[in-house]
Amino acid sequence: MISKNLIVRTTFYLFIATMLIAILIPVFFFVSTSVYSEYEVYDFPRKFLPRTSFDLEIEWENDQYNLSVFDEANNEYELLIQSNDMDRFRLYLKRSLSIQLNNEEIENDFSLSKKGEPIYLTYKKDLFYNYKTFFSITNNAGKSVVNSVMAAGWTIIISLFFGSLAGYSIARYKFAGKSQLSLTLLVVRMFPGVAIAIPMLVYLIKMNLDNTMIGLAIVYSVGNIALTAWITSSIFTGINIELEEASYIFGASKLQTFRKITLPLAFPGFIACSMYAFLAAWNDSITALILSNNNPTLSLVIYKAIGSSSAIQLSAAGAVILILPALVFTFIIKNYINQLWGEVKL
Amino acid sequence: MKNKYKKWFPYFLLTPALLYYVLFWIRPVLRAFFESMTDYDGSFSLMFFSKVINESMFTAALRNSLLFALISVMLQFTVAFMMALLLNKKFKGSNLLLFVALIPMAVPPAAVAILWKTGFSTFGWINNLLITLNLIKEPILWMTAKGYNALLFLILIDTWTVLPSVMIILLAGLQNLNKEYEEAGLIFGASRFQIIKDIIMPILKPTIITAVILRMIAAMQVWMISVMMFGYGRVPFLVERIAYYTDMVPMLKESYKMSLTYSVVVTTIVMISVMIYLRVNKKKEKEVRI
Repeated sequence: MISKNLIVRTTFYLFIATMLIAILIPVFFFVSTSVYSEYEVYDFPRKFLPRTSFDLEIEWENDQYNLSVFDEANNEYELLIQSNDMDRFRLYLKRSLSIQLNNEEIENDFSLSKKGEPIYLTYKKDLFYNYKTFFSITNNAGKSVVNSVMAAGWTIIISLFFGSLAGYSIARYKFAGKSQLSLTLLVVRMFPGVAIAIPMLVYLIKMNLDNTMIGLAIVYSVGNIALTAWITSSIFTGINIELEEASYIFGASKLQTFRKITLPLAFPGFIACSMYAFLAAWNDSITALILSNNNPTLSLVIYKAIGSSSAIQLSAAGAVILILPALVFTFIIKNYINQLWGEVKL
Repeated sequence: MKNKYKKWFPYFLLTPALLYYVLFWIRPVLRAFFESMTDYDGSFSLMFFSKVINESMFTAALRNSLLFALISVMLQFTVAFMMALLLNKKFKGSNLLLFVALIPMAVPPAAVAILWKTGFSTFGWINNLLITLNLIKEPILWMTAKGYNALLFLILIDTWTVLPSVMIILLAGLQNLNKEYEEAGLIFGASRFQIIKDIIMPILKPTIITAVILRMIAAMQVWMISVMMFGYGRVPFLVERIAYYTDMVPMLKESYKMSLTYSVVVTTIVMISVMIYLRVNKKKEKEVRI
């Protein structure tokens, strides 16, 4: 009996450990990559933690400085460049090692080696170098963040309005065709989202909404209205109808009852629905590529950045920025799992 | 009078959503069907269907999409169900564990691709880890994977990403499950495995069907991780072809019609698969009853 219990416990902890490793290790190394300097990306094999500073060796030889960096894996200094052009050093330190210094600072430090002995310097790495660079070299990166937020905002408004009305109706009334309605969520999803966007482009151009965030939100809401209706109907079903009836007895109108009783009770569920709408808009890049190529969202900018740039550390920095808000919202959703999916049945 | 009003009120609440779907869903879908079944000049013709089917990548795309859906859904359901069973237990740190388990859900597709590229590139962290642990001597060239290996890669990456969303639905179902059934099973001497198989699974069936169908639909439409990891054409999928025609050869009448024909094909295949799944489940139910 004890040994059986032991096996169960061991399996239990093994499973948890596997889960933690499988999720956290990729995320850890991914975030590390976003703070790597270019040198570290190709430094192989390297230590697990990203460097925060570099140990450099400067040698004065044949009227030139030899710049070497300490290679942690091999425990020796590796020669990087030979030059006496301070501009070259400044650019090299910046681009390859993420060290931001100006020419005078470099010249002052380096010139000490002219006495004949090699000197050893430790320079701090700029950990946010990739993040700054991503925004400065990518066209429209700043604007794209604003765009993403706007597209997400409109998607939330549209999905909540249309979806919750339908959800309330499904939860509170009996009518013909009700049981078929829950199938719409599935049917809507069967036609690929990309394929909706292609004909939609023509309609949006006619409505003067191409390359606008409202236009994008209209397409994002297609999947989300059904989802919102599905989820809100499950939330409204969970709200005791007697509360509403009590309100009618006290002479409140339908609208008043909805505003003062039902809505506040359903509010947490609405927040969760908004998060799903937010994620749908925030995460998409292909619809944005088709409908709003000239006015991109952050996700589209990053999608394109991967195709064009070979610098993986820069794309990683962009991707970390993309993940952050989604991460916050996912953790809000976590508290509503039960309410959201508890009553959802086909 | 009041009765009549009551009868129409639910429809009145549904109208905005229905109108929205007529305008922004049914209209583009009908347009796609129309474009796929007509010639350039608008006369009825099935030439684009034959073009799609005779395209060199079509067979591979169809095979990959179906294999991907089959394997990934089975794998994801099994693992997600185990995770849900585990997280349904209350223990020290279970809330924190749920927190961690949901992280992949927050990673948008564009970021997923970068996340795994930092790992699978030649000097990436996976090779670095394997070399440091002395498991390999030379870096493995992951990104040159082809055919079934590449497909397996994509299945694993996709599984990492979508497990939480499958798990969430199953977990909600488990949390709403009446604990007494389980206890009854225990009293009658059922083993843990028997309880899961004969008590939890049957009661949870509607939830399981929901989760599996949602996943099936999404899995058959997979394309983005394939393009972002390997580029267009290496591991073709049906929806990847749609994206290829819109992204790589845009603004041509032909690619417009090709991508819409592809989407009609995808929708048909997805519908048939979902119907088969539902039919198989119904049959099983009947057998159990007999």
